[in-house]
Amino acid sequence: MANNSAVSEEFSTLPISIPALPSYPVPATHYVYLRRNAPKIATPDDSRSLYLANVPVDSTEAHFRALFSSLVGAGRFESITFEHDRKSVKISHEPAQAERLAKHHKKRKREEEELQHKKEEAAAELPDTWTRELHRSGSSAIALLADEKSVDSVLKAVKRLKKSKTYPIWGEGVKSGVPTFGSQWLKAHNKLSYPGNDAVQAMVDAYFTVFNRKEEEAQQLAKRLRNEPDEDGFVMVTRGSRNAPARRDEAEEAKQKMLDRQQKKKDEMQDFYRFQLREKRKADQLELLKRFDEDRKKVQAMREKRGKFRPEA
Amino acid sequence: MESNSPKRRKLDHAHKGPTFETVASSSMGASGSSAFVLETDELLKEVKLDYSSTFPGLDQTLRQFKEAIESLEQYGPIPIDEASKSWGKTTRTAIPYPDPKPTKNCPYKVAFEKPTHINVVGSYTSQTMVKSQSSFAVDMIVVMPTTLFSEKDYRDYRYFYKRAFFLAYITDALRKKFSDLDFVYTNLNGNALLPVLVSRPQGQSSESQNTESKELLGKPNYEIRIIPNAPEGYFPAAKLSAASNSLRRNSSEEAKDTNVPTPFYNNTLKSESQFVPYLKLLHRTSTTCASFKDACILGRTWLQQRGFGGDVADGGFGHFHWAVLMALLLQTGGRKGEPILSPSLHASQLFKATLQYLASSNLHKKTVILGQTTVAPEVVRQTGPVLYDSARGINILFNMTTWSAFMLNEHAKLSLSAINDPQVDQFDSLFISKVNQPLQIFDLFVKISVPPPTSQTSSSVSDGKSPIVVFAEEIYKTLKKALGERAKLINIQIPKSPAWKVTPSSTKPKNENILVGIMCDPAKASQGREFGPLYEQKKDAAKFREFWGDIAELWQFPSGEIVESVNWTEFSPLGYFGICQAIVRYIVTSRLKLTDGDLEFHGQEFSNIISLSPADKASFDAVKAAFSVFEKDVRDLEDLPLSVKQIAPIGAETRYASLRSPSPNRRRQGATPIDVMLSFEASGKWPENIASIQRAKTALLLQIGRSLEVAKAGIKTHLGLEDGEHETGNLAFLDIVYESGFSFRLRVHSDQEETLLERQTKDQTLDRYVRTEAAVLLSSARWKSAILPLHSQTISTYCTRFPALSSSIRLTKHWFNAHRLGNHFNEPLIELFVLQAFLKPHPFPVPSSTSTGFLRTLLMLASYDWREEPMIVDPSDSLSASQRLDISTRLEAWRKIDANMNRTTLFVATPFDATGVAYTQNIPKVIATRMTTLARSASKAAKDKGIELEPRTLFQSGLRDYDVVIHLSAKAIKGVLREDGTRHSQFKNLDESGSSEALPLPEPPVLALLRRLNLAYATPLLFFHGGPEDTVIAALWNPQIHDRGFSANMPSSFKPANTDADTFELNREAVLAEIARIGGDLIEKIDVKDSQR
Repeated sequence: MANNSAVSEEFSTLPISIPALPSYPVPATHYVYLRRNAPKIATPDDSRSLYLANVPVDSTEAHFRALFSSLVGAGRFESITFEHDRKSVKISHEPAQAERLAKHHKKRKREEEELQHKKEEAAAELPDTWTRELHRSGSSAIALLADEKSVDSVLKAVKRLKKSKTYPIWGEGVKSGVPTFGSQWLKAHNKLSYPGNDAVQAMVDAYFTVFNRKEEEAQQLAKRLRNEPDEDGFVMVTRGSRNAPARRDEAEEAKQKMLDRQQKKKDEMQDFYRFQLREKRKADQLELLKRFDEDRKKVQAMREKRGKFRPEA
Repeated sequence: MESNSPKRRKLDHAHKGPTFETVASSSMGASGSSAFVLETDELLKEVKLDYSSTFPGLDQTLRQFKEAIESLEQYGPIPIDEASKSWGKTTRTAIPYPDPKPTKNCPYKVAFEKPTHINVVGSYTSQTMVKSQSSFAVDMIVVMPTTLFSEKDYRDYRYFYKRAFFLAYITDALRKKFSDLDFVYTNLNGNALLPVLVSRPQGQSSESQNTESKELLGKPNYEIRIIPNAPEGYFPAAKLSAASNSLRRNSSEEAKDTNVPTPFYNNTLKSESQFVPYLKLLHRTSTTCASFKDACILGRTWLQQRGFGGDVADGGFGHFHWAVLMALLLQTGGRKGEPILSPSLHASQLFKATLQYLASSNLHKKTVILGQTTVAPEVVRQTGPVLYDSARGINILFNMTTWSAFMLNEHAKLSLSAINDPQVDQFDSLFISKVNQPLQIFDLFVKISVPPPTSQTSSSVSDGKSPIVVFAEEIYKTLKKALGERAKLINIQIPKSPAWKVTPSSTKPKNENILVGIMCDPAKASQGREFGPLYEQKKDAAKFREFWGDIAELWQFPSGEIVESVNWTEFSPLGYFGICQAIVRYIVTSRLKLTDGDLEFHGQEFSNIISLSPADKASFDAVKAAFSVFEKDVRDLEDLPLSVKQIAPIGAETRYASLRSPSPNRRRQGATPIDVMLSFEASGKWPENIASIQRAKTALLLQIGRSLEVAKAGIKTHLGLEDGEHETGNLAFLDIVYESGFSFRLRVHSDQEETLLERQTKDQTLDRYVRTEAAVLLSSARWKSAILPLHSQTISTYCTRFPALSSSIRLTKHWFNAHRLGNHFNEPLIELFVLQAFLKPHPFPVPSSTSTGFLRTLLMLASYDWREEPMIVDPSDSLSASQRLDISTRLEAWRKIDANMNRTTLFVATPFDATGVAYTQNIPKVIATRMTTLARSASKAAKDKGIELEPRTLFQSGLRDYDVVIHLSAKAIKGVLREDGTRHSQFKNLDESGSSEALPLPEPPVLALLRRLNLAYATPLLFFHGGPEDTVIAALWNPQIHDRGFSANMPSSFKPANTDADTFELNREAVLAEIARIGGDLIEKIDVKDSQR
């Protein structure tokens, strides 16, 4: 299992030995590939973070804390963000109108207000139903270390591993408090799936407080923007004016009506003139010929496949 | 016949009922008819034989035979006694006398004289043999001269004794001359009176039964049958009518009425002189009607696929009878004697019209006379089917059994309905599929061992029939009467009469069995009490009593009527199956003097596999009732902000289709509730944001829960969170637990959500991944809200229409689970498969039991061509032709963009889902292929083994095929379900008050684990698992994951390869170690296939 050369210029290989379990008593080595983080869109923390590819499925922050402290000593590791983390995917909860308006108008932000809103939004979050998330096999993560120096020392330590051949052990030195897998995990899931009606009610209430507030804000904004030319002299048309635009379903209904009317007109004029009848007959005949041709082709295809015409024994 | 010019005939037909022309033209009008004609043409090309290459040197052999026989010297006459003693001894050739053997002091003499002529007849000369025949028989008739016989020889087997000696003499000569050929005796068409000589080229299996054993390539597989014939018109036809008696010897012994008619004997004797006339008839017809031969070949193929043959064991209706019937119908058959068929018809039309005749002429019920006749119908009538050819004065179906006439009629009807159904592939069901599979047709089998023929009585009434046929007829009559309407079809399979050696040898009577197949009518058969005639009708009542014996009793209806009846209600808990079995057992043992040991019942084993019981229906009905209570409760709520549009049950329990019969809440176990979908009237109140809609739905659920708890006592509601991936997916459900009864899981559907999602999928400005995500969410929303409710309704309707559907569905589900395919096929899809097998049963009848329903589903899956044919399940025929065409076009489009069928393998469309892929999402090709393979091997086993099939073997699945096998610990799984102490509050008194009641389960633990594993390892591993009870998860490594170069985004865990620094290979050990960690105490052991590195 020796890895004799560097994987690539950029990535270095961090082998982790996996302790055998009674259910699968085979020693295994997991390989994490890491390098300095250099995303396309730079962030201020890039210099002190590491990009880790192929993290184990059951990784947690505690696991990596233990891993890094075994490599470079305690205190260097700050946090880790996993790819496809549920929390990291941002989904807009803005009301549709607010979203539309936001494209045209930058809102001024006030800090303390913002903080208050964040708190409210956090209260509206639904709880996790799993005590411990699984990551997709072969997924990546970004580890945030204390400073740039730590990154260097981690990379150095990884290089050293190659010589010493003693790999860090997965899960060693993990402080207790990491939820266990197995039946406890499933049991907890069963329980967490039912947070209790009252608790959910509170969350939903909190959510709609936020939502209603946003909607109101948007409405006020729209009102403010109404009839107010911007710097180019254009006036934005917004909902809520005296004659509001038709609702979507009404519009669709109207369209359907129009189509129906057109169809009816068309139907009435069919089979009216002699040429229409003649053309129709011609079309029927062609159709018949076409179908015959299709049938022949089908039979041909069946013959090619062979055995289709042989009665089963 | 010349007077019937085509034009004249047409006029005649103008004012008559449906005749061949309407049949032909109506099917010509249907969409597939021209294809049908083309297909039959192809079939004819395919099955036609090249005679010279199939039978090398046969003509020469025949000529040599002829010469050899003609050159024989006259012998005898010698007394019959001497012939059997001295001649047999000296020549070492047995004389095949029919039973009963001639008595010692018979006065008459036997002799051999030069035959008047020798001729080759049958399908060899008419060139109507087909390739798929199991063996080719070339019939050579040897007509005996009149000088051999005297006028009274038609009586008392005398003719047959003389014939036997004549045959033996020829045998002796040929045997000694042609040492390179094998010679055996056999009975012509299983008729014990007519032994014939069969010669085969050496090296072929001598047993006629074994001829099916695959023909060795290059080896000729034919036999020459030498059939001695009576001179034409020698015996007086008037003395041989169906009503006259020719066996004086027997009757005089019994001193009974001497006029017991012996129709079978008489007909056999008459048929002895009819070979040449029929040869002439067929030849003449084939010259006047160009497509006659082709139509004969079609008929032959059709009969052969249904197992019909001239042998009495095959039913006694073979290609000869087909050809004669058709030839006669070309001459006559109409009401005024005008021909039914026209010689100008195409072969496929001739075939269809003949089929129509078979279906409508009711051969099994009435006597049919073809042609102008002078004889009275009474002279013709006899037990068993009668098709009297008056020109030649013979019932051509004399060798046919009553039950096979029923079967023939049934098959003709089924085939006709297939022809007239434009949606069915008529061709395959008519000519290609093998229909002769008893397990696919019959529900109940009784194997009866035939008692040794001891008593004299059997031979006296037999009029020459072999005792086993007589016995079978007796059984048939008894069962038919006893079962009445309970049985739709009864068929009896009797063993073929074996060939025997031409040298004298003692034959041991073998213990033989006959097999009775019964197709039940589940609705009628489950009736617990048999009602007979009114008590006042003394005569009928006495008959009834006589038939049923001691168990007949009187029964008074509430209306005061008193009828005779028989009580079978004690068997009612066993279902119709148990009742029928009890009836058969009783009647056969009481009336036919058989013992229980002689009977062996088959067919119930399938239902026992998942312990189906007739009581299940009641529990399903209970669920439905509970649901309607629930529906009412929800509709009665007044404080909901939106008005309820529909509450639709979508759980399998509410459509009679769940694997386990539902039972009310099991408190300890945490049962899985029944899924219900709730939709509201369209409203503008929904927020215009998908994520917010989900929260709004949650709020609605909470409100419903609160109101329900207030409105009705004994209801507990629990809001549960969905194990979803996205905030935009459905977030929550509400479990409603009725204290005494079932629990329901309610989800809300919002129209607004669907429109928003639809808009997203079409919005080109959005990112691609957003659009695909929206498409996924949209399809799952539609699946739950639009498709499943309609699906549930459909299945539930058809479960009441087809009584066997529910149990067949459940057994099929079990089969999928047993082979660990259950996690890939959603239950509704399996239900559709089974429903399709019931809706399109061609060429079989509609399944009437669990076993036939299940086996027919497998048969359909085994041969389904998923690449070319969309499966369209259309129960009420609501799809128009153009819609069907659209569906086919859609399938073609799928196949065009994905020719390897990697993404969409199965394509199943219904009236409520025309896309064809809603049911079959996420079924990988590997899985689909595996299903087909398994179904194929199961169908093959059912076909080959017949009733010897042990049904359990179809449900056994090994673990050898899988790369990885994860054994779960049943104990730990139970532990997950068990209540643990942690939930108890710290206040002791609160625990007591029942707050620690088990919550319903969001998902069974193994399925939850599997889902998690599937999310993490969707790419490298393909998991196999069957049902919540299965404690094994098996898996295959994805073969498409190859070693590869490095990239930051690997599809799974990879490790550097040992050999090459730049390539990386799948880190299998690490993956399995991860699984072991995730499973923790749930996993007992992970086995890896040895061939792995």
